[in-house]
Amino acid sequence: MSEFLNEPVLELRRAPVRESLLEALRELDSRLPLEVPVLVGGDRGAIEGLDSTDPGAPSRLVARAGRAGEAEARAAVQTAAAGFREWSAHSAAERAEVLSGAAGRLRERRLELAALMVRECAKPWPEADADVCEAIDFLEYYARAAPSLDTGAELLQVPGERNTMRHAPRGVVAVISPWNFPLAIACGMTAAGLAAGNAVVLKPAEQSPACALALVEALHGAGVPPDALALLPGFGEAGAALVRDPGVHVIAFTGSGAVGLDIVRAAAETPEGQGHVKRVVAEMGGKNCVIVDADADLDDVVPALVGSAFGFAGQKCSAASRVLVHEGTHDALLRRLGGAVEVLDVGQAERFATDVPPVIEQEAQERVHGYARDAEAAGRLVARPERVPDAGWFCAPTVWAGLDPDAPVLHEEVFGPLLTVEAVSSVEAACDAVDSLPFALTAGLFSRSPATVDAVAARLPVGNLYVNRGITGAMVARQPFGGNRRSGVGTKAGGPGYLLQFTEPRVVTENTMRHGLVVE
Amino acid sequence: MPETEVEPEVQRIGRDLHDALPGRSRNPVKAIDARAMELASRDAQLRAALFRLVDVTPACRSLDDLAAHLGAYLEEVGERPPPIEAALRAAHNAAGRRALGLAAAGGVRHMAHRFIVGESPKAALRTLRGLWDDGVASSVDLLGEATVTREEADHYAERCHEALDALADSMGRWPSRPALESDSSGPLSRVNLSVKVSALTPLMRPEAPEVGREDAAQRMRPLLRRARDLEAHLHIDMESLDALETTIELVFELLDEDEFATGPSAGVVLQAYLRDSPAQLDRLLEWAGASTRTPPLTVRLVKGAYWDHEVVEARQHGWRPPVFEVKAESDRNFESLSTRLLSARPLVRVAIASHNLRSVAHAVAVNRATGGADADLELQILRGLGDELQQALASNELRVRAYCPVGDLVAGMAYLVRRLLENTSNDSFLGDQQRGAPIEELLAAP
Repeated sequence: MSEFLNEPVLELRRAPVRESLLEALRELDSRLPLEVPVLVGGDRGAIEGLDSTDPGAPSRLVARAGRAGEAEARAAVQTAAAGFREWSAHSAAERAEVLSGAAGRLRERRLELAALMVRECAKPWPEADADVCEAIDFLEYYARAAPSLDTGAELLQVPGERNTMRHAPRGVVAVISPWNFPLAIACGMTAAGLAAGNAVVLKPAEQSPACALALVEALHGAGVPPDALALLPGFGEAGAALVRDPGVHVIAFTGSGAVGLDIVRAAAETPEGQGHVKRVVAEMGGKNCVIVDADADLDDVVPALVGSAFGFAGQKCSAASRVLVHEGTHDALLRRLGGAVEVLDVGQAERFATDVPPVIEQEAQERVHGYARDAEAAGRLVARPERVPDAGWFCAPTVWAGLDPDAPVLHEEVFGPLLTVEAVSSVEAACDAVDSLPFALTAGLFSRSPATVDAVAARLPVGNLYVNRGITGAMVARQPFGGNRRSGVGTKAGGPGYLLQFTEPRVVTENTMRHGLVVE
Repeated sequence: MPETEVEPEVQRIGRDLHDALPGRSRNPVKAIDARAMELASRDAQLRAALFRLVDVTPACRSLDDLAAHLGAYLEEVGERPPPIEAALRAAHNAAGRRALGLAAAGGVRHMAHRFIVGESPKAALRTLRGLWDDGVASSVDLLGEATVTREEADHYAERCHEALDALADSMGRWPSRPALESDSSGPLSRVNLSVKVSALTPLMRPEAPEVGREDAAQRMRPLLRRARDLEAHLHIDMESLDALETTIELVFELLDEDEFATGPSAGVVLQAYLRDSPAQLDRLLEWAGASTRTPPLTVRLVKGAYWDHEVVEARQHGWRPPVFEVKAESDRNFESLSTRLLSARPLVRVAIASHNLRSVAHAVAVNRATGGADADLELQILRGLGDELQQALASNELRVRAYCPVGDLVAGMAYLVRRLLENTSNDSFLGDQQRGAPIEELLAAP
């Protein structure tokens, strides 16, 4: 296989490229609603029980989907056990070819898939396009990592003894994926499970079943056996059933901290008849801080903060949530940041002019509004754009300052377009604040002092620290992504070692000495 | 017109200009600058340290802070020449840091003064008048921080209005300089202001150019009116490719409005390093051909100042860089666009902005060969970079305009770094010239 390169995002600054996306959206709209069945083995289940709607126009039905429950989850795991035998019999190189083929299928449909994310998740074009590219990247990257699982790591060898280690698949992987990267994250966890030789049962978020179907179609079309990959559209009940199922070996989850911790607890159970301990790979929430030192260039800081906090309405686990700025720079930053947020365009995801799209659903809107009320009680509003559409689950992007240090909005994940700013006396004080949080996903630092950069990098516990740039948009192979502390369990996605979590190491030691003769 | 016919003229004009370049030794201050630049262009790490120092200077709270930053940047230079070692030792104690901070601040200020003619248009007038007396016109560019808010956009527009007023008020009283004040198309404005669209709106969105265009138009319209009333020339600068659509569409839209049918004189920029610049020129000429405005559109041809930015951005995204990556391709394109522009007169006025002796000589030769008077070709240089060429051009009675940035140190930093980058680049014409490349090489066809 050729050397891994990231799939290039579309050059949206060119008008014909933008027009091609709008054309793809028109074409998609003419086919709505899509149909997403429960897919287990070769069987297509009924299409009823789950409706996926457009967050920007909730009356628009994007997809009608099946609703998997406990019975479907059980059947899917049992079928996957059979699929596992078939799929794991292929060499890693053969599996890699299939995954790369699936990447090709996504590439062919990239405009349509971006349009689907615009509709199903109100993900704006640049982010929707990047999501498709990231999905392709995961497939291509894990495909290239798979063959090394067969050859294994180098071990110490002494005369008369041959030591080998390889990584065998574990069995059935349950993937429980979120709606905010409806293609990329579902794809990353699924592709990793498959690359390592496991069968996968995918339970996508109830808000984005159609995106998940596109992924499953690409993988089946490229040669993943039907039994080795099942799709379970549905609500939490299907996910909960998978987590408890004794036939599941690995649970790969990305989502909220509350659900993640429930999964960790439930997976620890070893009921009678379950001959293994489940492994959990979980990416959970964050409370991502950006530290701005006195020597930062606000010309860079302001756009980076706006993009990191309000892009996709702040609905990324990496999104900026708290700014900790040196007291000497605090007022200037607040003035410029406030002015920059006042001019943000809150609108439909399909408009290229939109800066802030609606949030995913009513519940999310209510949650963000709740935090805004808390912030109002505990501090003062710095900025809020004047115009916010009524229809659709819109939230005004807001910036808050002067908050009571104990205000929940400073400590809890909002997962929406809300940014707080606090003055700190020094970078060390800012590091103390970050270090006191239970989360450790992403953080940012703006400083032009090499010593400060080194000190902060050494001090902060976060999984991904971004220096003098925005803190979202991790790229496969360039920024392996994942949190520490209560933000995550496991190795970084899109980086070295990620596949190992879906395997069991096996070491073989052979005595090569017979009657004093070394037979090698 | 076949290029081979003008080639002997290009060589002759180039040699004449080269002979007219002032000797560097006559200006001791510039000799020091040249040494520093030369040192920086030889050593990539030293160059990085210098750039980072210049970049951070306005944000440093004290001399001590500045010295600490400088010390940290120099730490990262592998092989340090003796003066740098001395500077590093100084950074280790408070008294030393103060001295080092003073020296660094002084150095940066000195460098800034070379490129920035004054903190305000009023403060710049003395220098501008000096240029005028030497037979050199000017275009004033107001440096500013990035515009991220409405207030900042309004403030920039206000500064532009004040600059137009201040320049018009003073320049109106300057003595007549016929060679600088008209060409075959008619009178040329003394007052010439360059403006940046990205400074006139906080809403530049490369993927939605109409947003920035509509917002900037609200501030650009009053500026055009003011320029028209003062008979000033307004030149719309070009920035990175992300701003191109917004900028071009804004200019076309506004100049097509009835109230601007007879003025002001206005101009745009064509960047020869862009691969699709020939198509951009098609578009400009098509618009100019269809337009019924009386003052012809001025097209300033430049190489382009965002090369590193464009290449890095493209590489990070996996795109083919929108710019030529081989300098000779860019240079050839520059000559081809020069020829096309000069042949398109009187539809457009042509300004050639280059420090490359070969490119300038080529434009002068083509202008003459196509029957143009020397006054019909404007040659532009950047203050601080092209001063010597400016003298040579003026002494050869060519019409030259100096692009003069105005603003304070903080605001000027991005500009300053771009100019330094240009001046210390390994394959720049100025670099070749500073290294003393032979005249044959400097004038060779690209």
